[in-house]
Amino acid sequence: MTDSRAAETDHDFGGPETGREVSRYVQAELHEVEHPDGDGPRVVGHAPASAHLRRPGGGVRGGALLTMLDNVGGLCGGLAALPDGWVVSTNLSARTIALDHVGPFRIDARVLRQGRASVVTAVEIRDEGAGDAIVVDGVLTSAILVPENGPPRWDRPLVLGPGAPLVEPVPTIPDWLGARAIDDSSVEMPLADALRNPWGILHGGAVASLVDLAAEHVGGGVTTDVVLHFLAPNRVGPVRAVARAMGSRSDGTVLRIEVRDEGADRVTALAVATSAPVNAAPER
Amino acid sequence: METAYPPDRHLLRDLRLSFEHSDDRTSRASMPVVPELCASDGAVRAGALATLVDVIGGGLAASVAHPGWIATADLTLHLVRAATHGTVEAHARVVHAGRTTVVIEVGLYDGAGLELGFATMSFAVLPRRESNPDISTSMTTGSASMARAGSRMHAPLLDELGVHVVDRARGELEVPVADWSRNSFGAMQGGAVATIADAAVEAAARAATGVELIVTDLQVTYLALARVGPICTRVEVLGVAPDAVTARVELLDVGAGSRVTTLARVVATSSLAAVP
Repeated sequence: MTDSRAAETDHDFGGPETGREVSRYVQAELHEVEHPDGDGPRVVGHAPASAHLRRPGGGVRGGALLTMLDNVGGLCGGLAALPDGWVVSTNLSARTIALDHVGPFRIDARVLRQGRASVVTAVEIRDEGAGDAIVVDGVLTSAILVPENGPPRWDRPLVLGPGAPLVEPVPTIPDWLGARAIDDSSVEMPLADALRNPWGILHGGAVASLVDLAAEHVGGGVTTDVVLHFLAPNRVGPVRAVARAMGSRSDGTVLRIEVRDEGADRVTALAVATSAPVNAAPER
Repeated sequence: METAYPPDRHLLRDLRLSFEHSDDRTSRASMPVVPELCASDGAVRAGALATLVDVIGGGLAASVAHPGWIATADLTLHLVRAATHGTVEAHARVVHAGRTTVVIEVGLYDGAGLELGFATMSFAVLPRRESNPDISTSMTTGSASMARAGSRMHAPLLDELGVHVVDRARGELEVPVADWSRNSFGAMQGGAVATIADAAVEAAARAATGVELIVTDLQVTYLALARVGPICTRVEVLGVAPDAVTARVELLDVGAGSRVTTLARVVATSSLAAVP
């Protein structure tokens, strides 16, 4: 539901039922719940650790986990912004702790800080099938914008189902994005309409997934740590992520990744990611 | 509290930073490596590097937001090599400057240009208030330094900050908000805040593993100014591997009703390779 930065947007907000294809792909089901302290909205999501989201022979890809984080954290931030506006993601930072997963995941988002122009949400993903082990700990920051046709109207407390069942065979993330390696440092994808968010631009979860694939392509491992700044909307495509390894240390390779909307000839996101060796000893 | 900012004895003077601002939305800064800034591995600790990043990134963001003012929203730092001698050079660049936010990237290098790490910062752009400092003179192009003739670190960074260890194994620290580490708002400087997160997780990570792990990554989200003090830390270790610990740390301003001022995720790993 949430969105890579829509600053400079000249599009109407498509409304609550548009741009939900990314959410449907991860089969996330979201519930607004009463915050125990009455301190801003709280949103809890559930999503399966589906086969199509996994690395070959491994756990769910970092890009899918970040999509869940962006979905649930963004919805939580958006509800906090109502009735004045809605949100676009401006940056996220997250650390993946568990690399092997059973599922289902529980994604829990709460508001850390709300100002006039932005909302900061803390998001935690736990693996209910693995004794509630923590999988991801992160923060999502969103800017509050006022759509030209007004913010979305929801029935509260909000419940969003996972959408229509996915049709088998469900594509893996690289196939779903249409992503392919261009050279030793770059991964590129077209900007398919199904991947646009309600603002009409590439969904933040898709950007995060492309960053994850670029980190894997250059680092050769599993993405454990991502800082992602959304700088401008991806509106035209193709969208390309270029990764550069800065150095390696005992827990992996640290990469700087730049995302460009090639059709618009501009940088749209900046990321830092850590790529851990595939056989790294897991954190417990 | 003295009225002139910063006072003669202040973190920003004693680090002996020098700056060079350009009119192409870039800035450079240099910080000498001294033993007082180093952790037990003999390399400059992540918190000290975060302070360098905060100063150069904050100055650059303030210059592009001018005449508006800025509030630091977050700071991230990832290290790949250890700085053990010479100087650390910081190269800052504006990557986004909008009506409401500014994003800066900062590359860290040794004196020979070898990459030590990479940092990002984002800032909220705010309407100017009369109390905001006028940076139009301090951000003029060319070289500058806040150091005075006698400026230097008199003790290890954590001692200068007044860090008191309450419970080492739990990473519980208590730190005053002192003039030496205040920013122009009268609150604890953002780099000092990051240093406290670094120190808290370093203690907890070593207790969790029995190994002298070093903090290599910081993801710091600033939620409120740490104005009153003392500042206390609350650490939750999220994951432990043989060569890495991930922890979440909250900083609370006890004097302000124990308000959470900062949330950080911190990674500690075994020592980084030193630059030659």
